[in-house]
Amino acid sequence: MSDLHTLSGAYALDALSGDEAREFEGHMGDCASCSIEVLELREAAASMGASEALTPPPALKARVLAAAERQPQLPPLVTHIDGAGKKRRRRRIAIGAAAAVLAAVAGVTVTQTQGGPELSRPVAAVFHSPDVHSTQVRTSNGGTITVATSQRLDEMAVDTHQLPALSKAQVYQLWSIVGGHPRSAGLVTDVTAGRAMPLPPHGAAVAITIEPAGGSRQPTSQPIVVLSPSRV
Amino acid sequence: MASEPGLRLVHGQGSGGDVDALLTRVARGDSEAFGQLYDEVGAAVYGLARRVVRDPERAEDVAQEVFLEVWRKAPRFDRNLGKAKTWIMTITHRRAVDAVRRNEADKRHDQHAAPDELDREDPGEAVILAEEHGAVRDCLDTLTELQMESVRLAYFNGYTYPEVATLLDRPLATIKTRMRDGLIRLRDCLQGA
Repeated sequence: MSDLHTLSGAYALDALSGDEAREFEGHMGDCASCSIEVLELREAAASMGASEALTPPPALKARVLAAAERQPQLPPLVTHIDGAGKKRRRRRIAIGAAAAVLAAVAGVTVTQTQGGPELSRPVAAVFHSPDVHSTQVRTSNGGTITVATSQRLDEMAVDTHQLPALSKAQVYQLWSIVGGHPRSAGLVTDVTAGRAMPLPPHGAAVAITIEPAGGSRQPTSQPIVVLSPSRV
Repeated sequence: MASEPGLRLVHGQGSGGDVDALLTRVARGDSEAFGQLYDEVGAAVYGLARRVVRDPERAEDVAQEVFLEVWRKAPRFDRNLGKAKTWIMTITHRRAVDAVRRNEADKRHDQHAAPDELDREDPGEAVILAEEHGAVRDCLDTLTELQMESVRLAYFNGYTYPEVATLLDRPLATIKTRMRDGLIRLRDCLQGA
């Protein structure tokens, strides 16, 4: 048994650093018994986690469902492992196509029945990208934004429809902060449309401030949110 | 895959099967099934998030991120790789631990608490007696003290194993081994339960 193998417990508990976890995952690729062990230990850890069940705040369910409605699903992975692979592959593709149709129909229903927020086309493109990563973040002025990034499109988008409306004299402005220097990444002139911007370089931060209408050259107020796109 | 020699999955009882069936429907974009899935595992997800990140608002945010990830990735869930509920709890734990590690200030705060005080529950909170609760508690009792502390500090407090080694003042190799044999003992006990 290699030394790496003994990390299975720490791995199943998410107690490895990022680098070690990746190294161990590489090891699991060559070690079937390690993968099986991790699977089983994960199951034990999950039971421990599930035993901590606590009634969530009632409003959470609606938030979760509403957020999912705006979020596309990833297409299924097409895999073929064994001799029966061909047949299985065809079926999976068929299911994938059905899922895509369902998702498209669901999307149409949402916009039609709710007359809800319409994201601008560039923003929607990021949210619907197959490699989208997204997360919701609260802002200090009592709103919520959903941030999405797509490496493939090299774009990032912010869904701002849950931000408080501003007076006509003010506007939300996006900033890309590289090496401590903020640079304007555009104004959110329509909060329901959101805003897309190029994906900032790794390690850069993105901030949103409230600025006088027309925007500012440099931020003139404390950001309502600062985030790291590489963490999205 | 279940017939492969050496593969022993821990099969739960009760709603576990429902969660698998629901996730299959969610994978096809069924939002009604997604709502039912929330009803089935929402308390487990929120409870674990709450236990790890402590702060109720942040726990809610983590729980929401978890469900969005579940929704997004459901079409890629491979049922050959374990139960749906395990998958969801694994996502929950990872996201909760990420949230804790992002917030170093939180962590420093936690380090002041003695390990044996870390699992105190807020008396005002409505704890749900999960079907797993009794069995897990009994099985955790079969672990040695060092196994249990290592496992709990990592799992519920989000410490890495080197941090646990420092906290418990034991060599790295010891802690790494105790985490593994502790979990193995827990697994075997839960399988027998």
